[in-house]
Amino acid sequence: MARWGMVIDLEKCTGCQACTTACLMENSRLPGEMWQDVLFYSEGEYPSGKLSWLPRPCMHCENPSCVAVCPTGAAYKAENGAVLIDWEKCIGCKYCMIACPYGVRFYAEEKQKTQPDIRNVFPPSGDKVWDPPYKMPEHVQDPKHGVGIQPKNVVSKCTFCYHRISKAPEGTTDLDPNDPATRDFTPACVVTCAPTARFFGDLDNPESNVRKLIAEKRGTRLLDQTGNRPQVYYLAGESPAIPETRSVRNPKT
Amino acid sequence: MTTATYSDALARYVDFNKKPEQMDIALMAGGALSGAIGLAFVFYMLITEGHSAFNTSSDMAWGAPIAFYLFFLLTSSGLSIIASLDSVFGLRVFYPIAKRAVFLSIICLIAGFSILALEIGRPFRMLWALPFSLQIRSPMWWMGVLYSTDLMLLFVKFYLIHTGDWHSRFSHLIARISFVVCILAPGTLGLVFGMMAMRPAWHSNVMPMYFILTGFTTAVSFMLFFTSLLPRDKTSAPNVDELYHEILPRLFFVLLLAVIAIRFGQIVTGLWSNFEGLEANWLQLQSPFFWIEIVAGLALPTAMMAFDSVRRRPLVQFVAASLFNTGIFFSRLELLIMGQKVPLFKGYWAGYVEYWPSLTEWMLIPAGCGVFLFLYGAGNWLLRLSDTERNNH
Ligand code: SF4
Ligand code: SF4
Ligand code: SF4
Repeated sequence: MARWGMVIDLEKCTGCQACTTACLMENSRLPGEMWQDVLFYSEGEYPSGKLSWLPRPCMHCENPSCVAVCPTGAAYKAENGAVLIDWEKCIGCKYCMIACPYGVRFYAEEKQKTQPDIRNVFPPSGDKVWDPPYKMPEHVQDPKHGVGIQPKNVVSKCTFCYHRISKAPEGTTDLDPNDPATRDFTPACVVTCAPTARFFGDLDNPESNVRKLIAEKRGTRLLDQTGNRPQVYYLAGESPAIPETRSVRNPKT
Repeated sequence: MTTATYSDALARYVDFNKKPEQMDIALMAGGALSGAIGLAFVFYMLITEGHSAFNTSSDMAWGAPIAFYLFFLLTSSGLSIIASLDSVFGLRVFYPIAKRAVFLSIICLIAGFSILALEIGRPFRMLWALPFSLQIRSPMWWMGVLYSTDLMLLFVKFYLIHTGDWHSRFSHLIARISFVVCILAPGTLGLVFGMMAMRPAWHSNVMPMYFILTGFTTAVSFMLFFTSLLPRDKTSAPNVDELYHEILPRLFFVLLLAVIAIRFGQIVTGLWSNFEGLEANWLQLQSPFFWIEIVAGLALPTAMMAFDSVRRRPLVQFVAASLFNTGIFFSRLELLIMGQKVPLFKGYWAGYVEYWPSLTEWMLIPAGCGVFLFLYGAGNWLLRLSDTERNNH
């Protein structure tokens, strides 16, 4: 079975947030619940300031600390490499949110950043967080894999679009949105990316495009010192490094 | 058995015929009132707004409720250590407070678990999902296992000494196992935070020791709080005055010095280091909770306990213990905030995470303390908490 991974080319990424929007729509996320987000970093001042950015889905770590800390086994690593949450097991203890070094896990039971509270505008029926007018069909929703509209009081995160990639025919090496044969199985953020900065394929297959990109263009992983070993790689091109500081500003300066 | 014989049997364990003292009535009434108001408010908010009634967020995932829960659980373990000093270490002078300490330990756990049940997303699911998962890599799983074991052992231990069995082999065995568990449980709770390398402000191998030490100090402070002015021991056991006037206050003073030493180390290391995320140590200097801890929790009680002639006075003990309890309570909250203040990987523009508990979260204080005080008043009235082994020999 393929072990899926993503490659994001920072030289091509324009920071347009189309991936973020696509992910929100595809997965019926609440405003602000950014399974995928673009992070911005600024350094220095005009006229020599520098702005950089970095799109950030879940890293689907090879050695996920979110899974290690979960006391119920609700957080797990699937065979195809995706790190998922079983919404029927999660108790909402939020330990995984503490333990993910990349800050990519979300809990919907919080004060909404935008008003009116959209959960009241589209109130749910039954044990769901809300009932948006645009959502994936009922039969695609899959709480065991954290796909669809989530129940209340559980944690959610990027699923690598599990509902799409799990349908890809056995033996597929790359999920290319420009190939009609694989487009439907490709994650929404990859499909939507206008400058084609995102690539998705089998990390275990030396023939896959993603493996070649990582090898030829010096693919790197974020915060490698955490030991989580992401399955999302970045291509930084001519840049000396990926902007990855998480500090905001040092209060001493 | 008829109803009458049932109640006779029950009367052997529970002193229904005893008249409650005024203080017991006050504790029960005050506790019931505060607990009812707190719980009613929190339940109302949870039913109408769900957990959005808390100010916690995806960036500040653990907030005040977890801090309050931490306070009660660590104190419980400390009380359990006090209750073991006599039976496990042969420090016979502690016998007169052992039973009270076991009882306080039990009700601290009950108050803590009640708060947890109100905080956690799906408390009922937890009851089956946690034990059957066998997630031995998760420190939280071990914490659940150890604290449940702790509670069961405490019940057994209390039953044994309540029925006069202080010295059977079984009783001593339970006391020893219970002692081991009440060291492991807060230690594991320390690991829940200390193991998190991705949270530099928490990541520390000292965290288990810090939790055990501060839990024990709070426990000694609780004993002083509950025995200085509130109805205290009425046994005629020898040494009892020495215990209250000399040993407990002196122990409290030494423990305060130890807490100050460990906190000094933590704060100075944190302020000195440039490591990312540790700037939370500078940010905490702006937090009122931090200063409550330093001034009310550490400086004042230490000053009050420093001199022998002063620290033996019950009023001083009461005030010092109240100040310390308040300080340590808020230090737990500040610890929670500090670890999450610098957001994980949100870019420069996200800013530090702002958090102040909502009214619903604050109301967990009257809820938890109310449950605790009510149970304490009832126990003091009905369960002969002043019993000591000498009464039975
Ligand atoms: S990025 Fe975080 S949530 Fe995703 S797999 Fe890694 S540790 Fe888990
Ligand atoms: S919140 Fe859910 S997925 Fe996360 S650690 Fe707790 S039980 Fe596991
Ligand atoms: S893979 Fe799917 S779930 Fe993950 S960021 Fe992309 S669109 Fe969102």
